[in-house]
Amino acid sequence: MRVRSRRKSIAFFITLGASLVALAIALNVGWIILNWREVALLVLGIIFFCAIIFGLVINTTFLIREIRRNEQHDAFINAVTHELKTPIASIRLYLETLKTRNVDEDQRRQFYDNMLADSDRLLKTVEQVLRAGRARHRRRGIANSVIDLSGIVRECLDLVRITYGLDETSLSFVEAPSARGAKVSGDIDELRAAFTNLLDNAVKYSDEQVNVSVELAAIDSKRVAIRVADQGIGIPNAQLKRIFKRFYRVPGMFMARVKGTGLGLFIVRSVVEKHGGRVFAESPGLGKGSTFTIQLPRL
Amino acid sequence: MNAVLIVEDEKHIADGLRYNLEAEGFAVDIAVDAESAEDLLLKKHKPYDVVVLDVMLPGKNGFALASTLRKAELFVPILMLTARGDAQDVLRGFEAGADDYLPKPFELAVLIARLNALLRRREWLKSASATATSQEQLAASVSRVPKVIEFESKMIDFDALELRSGNHTVRLTVMEADLLRYLIKHDGRIVSRRSILEDVWGLREDTDTRAIDNFIVRLRKYIEDEPSKPKHLVTVRGVGYKFISKAGAKRN
Repeated sequence: MRVRSRRKSIAFFITLGASLVALAIALNVGWIILNWREVALLVLGIIFFCAIIFGLVINTTFLIREIRRNEQHDAFINAVTHELKTPIASIRLYLETLKTRNVDEDQRRQFYDNMLADSDRLLKTVEQVLRAGRARHRRRGIANSVIDLSGIVRECLDLVRITYGLDETSLSFVEAPSARGAKVSGDIDELRAAFTNLLDNAVKYSDEQVNVSVELAAIDSKRVAIRVADQGIGIPNAQLKRIFKRFYRVPGMFMARVKGTGLGLFIVRSVVEKHGGRVFAESPGLGKGSTFTIQLPRL
Repeated sequence: MNAVLIVEDEKHIADGLRYNLEAEGFAVDIAVDAESAEDLLLKKHKPYDVVVLDVMLPGKNGFALASTLRKAELFVPILMLTARGDAQDVLRGFEAGADDYLPKPFELAVLIARLNALLRRREWLKSASATATSQEQLAASVSRVPKVIEFESKMIDFDALELRSGNHTVRLTVMEADLLRYLIKHDGRIVSRRSILEDVWGLREDTDTRAIDNFIVRLRKYIEDEPSKPKHLVTVRGVGYKFISKAGAKRN
C-alpha cells in the first residue's frame, strides 16, 4: 500500500543521506592520509570536504524533520476527520431512526440526549480547530478585560465535572489564601479554553479512577499559578516539552487508546503566552501521573 | 435469527446501530475494542453471522482485527465502517480481509441492505455445501463467469469461495474472488490497473493503482506453482495484468 511504500522510500533517502555523510568522511580521511605532505592541497581539500559533510548533515536533518512534521500532519487530519465525522454519523443515524421507526417515548428522549451530546462534541472540535488557527496570530484580537481567576477556574471545573459526571472529590479544587481575589488581564474566552483543555486532558488521560486536583496559588506578588495534577498515565521525560507543539501526540499504544487531535496543549501554550505567562508539564514518568502548571502575571 | 457483532467504541453509534438492527430482527452484541471482539469470536467461538467493524478503535485498529480473524481462519463476513473512506483506506480494508465497506456517515438503509447482501451470500454458501446444488441456486448465481472454473490442476469455486489444487484448499475473501473472477472474465486480454480499480472495487478516485499489486501477489501465491515466475497471472509492464488460462484449460 501507499503508506508502506512511502515508508520504504523514506528509509531509502535517509539511508542515502547517512551513507553519503559516511562516504564523505571516509574520503576526507583518505585525502588527509594521501596528501599529508602537501599542506596547501591538504588544507583546501579538508575545507571542501568539511563543507560537503556539513551540507549533507544539514540536508539529512532537514529531511528527517520534514518527514516527522508530515506524519504528524497526517495523523492530525486523520484525527480531525474522525472527530468531525463520528458525531455527524451518530446524529444522522438517530435522525434516520426517528424518521423511519416508531420509537417509544423513553427511547426517543435518550436519542435526543445522544444527539445533543454529539452536537456538543462536534462544536468542541470545530472550536478547537478554529482556535488553533487563531493561535498563530500573535496578540491580535485579544480582549483586555479584568478577570477574576478563581471565578473562571471554578466555572471550568463545574463544566468539566458535569461533562464527565465527576464529584468534588475526584476533581478537587484548593485555593491558597495567597491567591484569594487574584485578578489577571486578558481574554476570558481564551483563558477558559486553556483551563478547560488542561482539565479535559487530566480526566481523559486518567484511568477509570479519576483523581485530579487543581490548585490556585500565588508564586509571588506578581505571579499566580494554576496547577492541575492527575494520577493518570503520565508523560515520558523526553516528551515533556514536545507535547505543547502543534499536532504533536506522544506516540505509542498507551496514548492511542485516547482520541485527540494534538491541538489542545498547543492552544493552552499559545493562549498562556499571549497573556504573558508560561506553561509547563512535570511527570515522574509513564503511569505515574502528571502535573501541568500555568503561570500568569497578576494584576 | 441472524446474529451480528458490532465492534465500535463510539457508544452512541453502537447504541443506535443496536436499536435499528434489533428492530430488523438481528440478535446484536457490541464489542468496544478489538480485544473484546477477539475474545468473543476466537476464544468463546460465538457464532456470529456478520461483523460490523469500525476502523478507528482504541488500541488495535479494525484493519488489524480483520487480518487476525482471517489468519485464524474465521471467515465470518465483515462490513467495515471507515471515517476517512478514501480509496487507500478502503483498499487497506479489503486487503485485511473485509468483505464490504461503508464510509461514515452512512445511510441506515444502505447499511442494512449491505448487511443483508452479505448474509444472503453466506446463506447460499451454507446451502450449497449442505445439499447438492439445486437448479434454483444455479439460477441465482448466474454470472458471466461460471461458478466453478478449472485450469491445469486447480479448481476455483466462486460460490464456496474456495480454491482447490490437489488436496489443498485455500479460502478466498470476497474481494480476492471478485478480482480473480474479473481477470478470468478477460481471459487472454490485458486489463489495466485503473479498470480493475473501477470495475472491481468501484473506486473512481485518483488512487495509487499500485495498491492492486499486493492483491495480485496474493492471488499468484494461490494459483501459480512458482509465484515468482507466473504463468497464468502475468504482468504487462506499464499497463496492467493478463490472465492466461492456457490452451488446456477446461471450463464448466
